[in-house]
Amino acid sequence: MTKLRFSRKQLCIPYAVFLILFVIAPLIVILYYAFTNGEGKFSFSNFSNFFTSTNTLGTLFYSFGLAIVTTLVCLIIAYPTAYILARSNIKKKYVLLMLFVLPMWINFTLRITALKEILSVLEGNISKYPFLNSVIGMTYDFLPFMLLPLYTSLQKMDNSLLEAASDLGANRVTVFLRVTLPLSVPGIISGMTMVLLPSMTNYVVLDMLYNSEYIMGSLIGSYFSAYDWHNGSMISLVLLVIIFIVTLVTNRFSDKEANTRGSML
Amino acid sequence: MKKFLAVLSALTLTALCVPFAGCSEEGGEVITLRVSSWEEYIDLGGWDEAIDLDSGDIIGVNSMVDDFTEWFNQTHDYKVKVEYSTFGTNEDLYNRLSLGDKYDLVCPSEYMLMKLIAEGNCVDYTDAFWNKSNEENYYANKVSGYIDGEDDSVFKNIRFKDNEGKYVDLHKKAACYMWGTLGLVYNPEKLDDISDVASWSMLKNEKYARQVTIKDNVRDAYFATLGIINADKLEGATHAELSALMNATDSETIELAEDMLKNIKNNVYSFETDSGKADMVTGKVIANEQWSGDAVYIMDSADEDGTELWYSVPEECTNIWFDGWLKLKNGIDWTRQRHEVAEAFVNFLSRPENAIRNMNYIGYTSSIADEKVFEYMEWNYGADEDADPEDIFNYDLSYFFGDGASLTVDKENFEFEEDGTINRGRQLFAQYPPANVKERGVVMLDFGDKLSEINQMWINVRCPDLKDVSPAVWGVVGSIAGVSAIAVCLYVFRYKLFVNYRPKKGYEKVEK
Repeated sequence: MTKLRFSRKQLCIPYAVFLILFVIAPLIVILYYAFTNGEGKFSFSNFSNFFTSTNTLGTLFYSFGLAIVTTLVCLIIAYPTAYILARSNIKKKYVLLMLFVLPMWINFTLRITALKEILSVLEGNISKYPFLNSVIGMTYDFLPFMLLPLYTSLQKMDNSLLEAASDLGANRVTVFLRVTLPLSVPGIISGMTMVLLPSMTNYVVLDMLYNSEYIMGSLIGSYFSAYDWHNGSMISLVLLVIIFIVTLVTNRFSDKEANTRGSML
Repeated sequence: MKKFLAVLSALTLTALCVPFAGCSEEGGEVITLRVSSWEEYIDLGGWDEAIDLDSGDIIGVNSMVDDFTEWFNQTHDYKVKVEYSTFGTNEDLYNRLSLGDKYDLVCPSEYMLMKLIAEGNCVDYTDAFWNKSNEENYYANKVSGYIDGEDDSVFKNIRFKDNEGKYVDLHKKAACYMWGTLGLVYNPEKLDDISDVASWSMLKNEKYARQVTIKDNVRDAYFATLGIINADKLEGATHAELSALMNATDSETIELAEDMLKNIKNNVYSFETDSGKADMVTGKVIANEQWSGDAVYIMDSADEDGTELWYSVPEECTNIWFDGWLKLKNGIDWTRQRHEVAEAFVNFLSRPENAIRNMNYIGYTSSIADEKVFEYMEWNYGADEDADPEDIFNYDLSYFFGDGASLTVDKENFEFEEDGTINRGRQLFAQYPPANVKERGVVMLDFGDKLSEINQMWINVRCPDLKDVSPAVWGVVGSIAGVSAIAVCLYVFRYKLFVNYRPKKGYEKVEK
């Protein structure tokens, strides 16, 4: 029997096929639809539709606002938790971490349904606080995505750096501000991207928590259900561009941190 | 290596072929019928209790589709296999069809039927299907004259143009499955004044701010909105005028509807897709725009929880809707056998006992008018024989079941107006509206080329408008953004701005 040997190129084939079928091809289709009109001719009308209507721009800003607030709330909750979990000597901290990740195993629509009932008990008529509820729902949904990168970056931090800082006379606040916080910036950045972008489009949470405003995801869906692939694709494209810009900025940020880390210490 | 790849590709090919081998028509004898219908819209079997009518028990042990397959295979010289799939919205189905999915028989709502017919996607039912002398033709023999009769029926009154500009009608093109009205389910105990629920303006009534839900669907929301806008004109209008007013899609009406819908949006609890049933039962909302079939289901489940809910058809007008079976052209090669199978399926569903099974399972109202269906209604809602004559009355259903058909029922399940008409009631009222309600019902046609304009109106309503944002909010957002931008800049350039790089005393700066 001949031995099985694969070259590197051959090993890449499954992924390349996946990439072409499910990433590149759909992107081309989106691009095609975004810049054509109903008659299949090249046109910028979808583009100008989006950027001249105060309603669609309003949705863009609303989604952004919702996503930013959600991200900040997630960060404020997750950072101390991750810090305590990573730096403390609790014996069963893996169990504790598990408790935070556990809800992720349950389908998120079920979790939101449960949350809806809890909020109804707390607030009475929950349709009076649509923005607040959406933020709570999204935070509930995305907290683990913020927690895990933070935990990893704090966990792998070298303890001797902190000891060295204390030896050189830094008090605990200074150690945190000058050593721990800068070293955990890559964790913060990756956590923020993991929360910010999905929460701009996660309209199921809004639907289930009775927020009648459209966000980017529901806007795309609404165009598609009127068979308008062109405007829908243009909005998807706008989202893609936003994701691209955010990725560029965060990459620069974390690289810079990695480069300057030595000089800062 | 080559050998290995050859073996691998051979394996893959076999793996790919196996599923297809399963559905190949063995010797041309098995015909696959691809059916697509709404979710939870057919009896799936597994009942605990039978319906014990005098004419015999009816029970759903197996699913309707299995029963059809079994019956067909026993009585015909070729075999059939049904591939039953479901869709969530009409637009879903349409998008699937335009992406190239192939179905033989689909069951969308009236406006989608019209759209598909107008686009020339369907095939007429054969003459054999309409031959009333054949007893096996259950649909042709049993469909109610109100739905698909010779004159003045719902089907006959619909006139629409196909894409070539020719007038077509639904008769012989589609077979009605279920039908009903559009109204409001409400909890009478929580209303100040019952007459509030007699009008679509309940949706914008500030007395019930954040307590009523509306359907999250352009068509149903637009219909209710037109009911509010046109309230004055609708009073005393003829049926033709009613139909014209409620199908208005001119720009002026759309603009008015946009303003009204914005009002409604600020007043209602939410736009709801699936949560309406649960929210009524748990008491989160006190009224809910609903289709009559779902209303029956909601009232039934609320009864089990001890809450009594009612159904109201607003006095301005209501939408008579229906879902129907359409034979699609793109179901491959329409051979005689395929026509036969598809029509046999529709006829099988139209057998009175099967219509009852479906009605009992899903809560909607079948288009089939038969003595057995009437008996089932009696079994369901009929008054006790020894009831006080004061408490019962005859509910007239002759328009649907034919001359002289009236059910003896309890008065307590209906609310009578001063002139004796009924606009609100419970399950039976929702399933079969009385004649006065049916008279103010109009069928809502497809929006046609106005769809994009109406959809834009809907988007304008649902999207937060930048123009509506108050200066205070702009100020707060602007200052937060400004402060954080300054903070980031200070942090990034902190070494350049604040930290002095000159070496301390005793140290020397080393040039790299």
